[in-house]
Amino acid sequence: MAEHNVTLRVRDVSKRFGDFSAVEDLSFEVKAGRVFGFLGPNGAGKTTTIRMIVGITVPDEGSIELFGQKISHALQDRIGYLPEERGLYKKMKIVDQLRYFAELKGVSSADAEKKMDFWLERMNLGEWKKKKTTDLSKGMQQKVQFISTVMHDPDLLILDEPFSGLDPLNVEFLIDVISEFKTQDKTIIFSTHLMETAEKLCHDILLINKARKVISGSLREVKESYGRNLIAVRLTGGEGVLADPNLVSKQTEHADEVILHLTDGTSPQTLLRKLIDDGAVISKFEQVEASLNDIFIDKIRGSHESDL
Amino acid sequence: MRKFLAVVKHEYKKVVLKWSFLIGTLLLPFLAACFAVVPAVIFSLKGEPTRIVIADPTGKISPRLKANLSVEQMDARARRAAEKSLEDLTQTPEAQTQRGTEQFSESFEFIDYPTGGALTTTIRSELNSMLVNGQADAYLIIPEDINSEEASFEFRSRKAGDFVGGNFRDALNDAVRSQRLSDANISEKRLAELSQDVNFDAKGIDERGEERNTGGTIVASFVIGLMIYITLAIYGQAIMGAVVEEKETRIAEILFSSARPFELMMGKLVGVGLAGLTQLGIWVASAAIIISVVALQTDLSAVVGALPAISPLMIFYFLVFFLLGFFIYASIFALIGSMVTTVQEGGQFAFPPIMLMLIGFYFSFAVVRDPNSDLSFWVSIAPFFAPITMPVRILSETPPFWQIGLSFVINAVAIAGLIWLASRVYRVGMLMYGKRATIPEVWKWIRQA
Repeated sequence: MAEHNVTLRVRDVSKRFGDFSAVEDLSFEVKAGRVFGFLGPNGAGKTTTIRMIVGITVPDEGSIELFGQKISHALQDRIGYLPEERGLYKKMKIVDQLRYFAELKGVSSADAEKKMDFWLERMNLGEWKKKKTTDLSKGMQQKVQFISTVMHDPDLLILDEPFSGLDPLNVEFLIDVISEFKTQDKTIIFSTHLMETAEKLCHDILLINKARKVISGSLREVKESYGRNLIAVRLTGGEGVLADPNLVSKQTEHADEVILHLTDGTSPQTLLRKLIDDGAVISKFEQVEASLNDIFIDKIRGSHESDL
Repeated sequence: MRKFLAVVKHEYKKVVLKWSFLIGTLLLPFLAACFAVVPAVIFSLKGEPTRIVIADPTGKISPRLKANLSVEQMDARARRAAEKSLEDLTQTPEAQTQRGTEQFSESFEFIDYPTGGALTTTIRSELNSMLVNGQADAYLIIPEDINSEEASFEFRSRKAGDFVGGNFRDALNDAVRSQRLSDANISEKRLAELSQDVNFDAKGIDERGEERNTGGTIVASFVIGLMIYITLAIYGQAIMGAVVEEKETRIAEILFSSARPFELMMGKLVGVGLAGLTQLGIWVASAAIIISVVALQTDLSAVVGALPAISPLMIFYFLVFFLLGFFIYASIFALIGSMVTTVQEGGQFAFPPIMLMLIGFYFSFAVVRDPNSDLSFWVSIAPFFAPITMPVRILSETPPFWQIGLSFVINAVAIAGLIWLASRVYRVGMLMYGKRATIPEVWKWIRQA
């Protein structure tokens, strides 16, 4: 029953290397058929967590359940993992490496052949099949690596910075392919620094920093919990009102507008009335959501400041 | 198991389906052949004849000397020297050079110098000027009284004295000795009988007390030792290269998310080991074919006949000990490969295992000399050395079975230990990028894993 709802359940997981704590008491769930954004700055512990999920390392404490079972090497075949740092055999033909990677995921040699042809065509790499890695451009190599991740038809896809090194056209192309997986009811864990992409693709997010969870939840929840008090304005006058710390806690200047952070207890209506009373000429007054990028920067910066 | 086999297949194909494998398979026997044949070919080249002026007041030494230095005599001498060098491979380099020069077939051109009762000093100055003018390369002044104790034979040469001197001195000695005997009224016929070389019949006795030729055995043992040493060095380093490549390109990350590290490492060792076995197999088979063809067709049959009888059991032993050696050194190289970050860095760390192999190879000389000594016993059961020394010992003189068995067990235990160590370093080291691991770090991985 659990398998239908939750693909991955991470419970109280910690991992330390000597005195350094890479992951500390981390718990989260990834629901089946959803795209899960696993976000955080460099060194936050993302790769360490992913390595534990795919069975490369084991947690010091806590437990990880995959498809309702305790993680094991047998379950590795149902995961497709695209590591952030990835490579191919330099002097080997593409066809040979893809077959090998598929066989390591338990796909038979004949089956691998069919799937490989399908994916190479799909990625417009059909004519490169017999070429060696060194003959391919970096973008093509990325695509080959992506094929090796999905060729065995995994139920859980873990993509660590899948777009790095790709040109915008190929990024769009890859997003299309990933979206197809979404519709096939596969679960995708997606780790990235690119907040715009995460915002576009993810249903749920988890933000970690310094080995610990910062926020988690559905994208909607996170944004709503965070961004109710943001107003984008374009106006002349009203400086006195905006400078009142009882109303506005912070102003961020953008190119042609200003984002106002309202203090708790100040409603947009109150502010608008005060501005009009003050004689300001208003050409834009809009309640906005915080972008994931804003949340990311704010949360990470906030946690850094709290350290000081 | 299925994944393990996939790794084995992958690693095997990666080595065998490369040009370097084909070239190596063909090239090594060719190089070995060059090693054996080229010196012989060079030494058989005839230099320009040495023009020697002989001033012989007695008129008796000169004809004998000329006879001793005749082409036939010199060839016979060269052949004897060549045979000796085949029998004794373990001599010092100086002795080898000496023998090499003796193998050089020299030829001489004689110029008679009528002394006509002139003073030695006059003759000497005249001959000296002939040398300087390039009319002759050397001269020999024979004293009037060859039987006197002070009699001195003056030989002066413009060619490198040692090379010409050795053979020449022997020939002169023979000539003078025969003349002295002749002076003592011994007939020429009797003289020929007396100066006949002894028939020196040297053979070894094997463990059953039967006679056998040792010359060929020594060569064959040496070749087996060399072959195993080279193959171990090549395939050990191939393992290291393969491990470092997967670490350097970060493929390890994908591999480790697909299969157990132990499966991956063992698959690699077995795959590359089978490739090495394939190459050895090709060499052994082609050597067998070539020897049997050559034996049928040429007069080399004498040499072939001197080769030891190599039974199928011996070949089985060689392959077993090759595999023991391979797994010992391959696990060390795999361990090094997972510690370092680049192939170049690995090259520096490859020195200790290569050194161990080389020591094993050098010990095989001691084993060839005396296969039953205590030293031979110990080095042929010791881990690290036995894979090279035991096959050499088996070929030189097969030790009792319990010793072969003991050697096998000791080395198998060493392999189990080394693989245990290597797999622990491998599973951690392969995911450590950026910097080379220090020994204390590696020690920590071994204890933690």
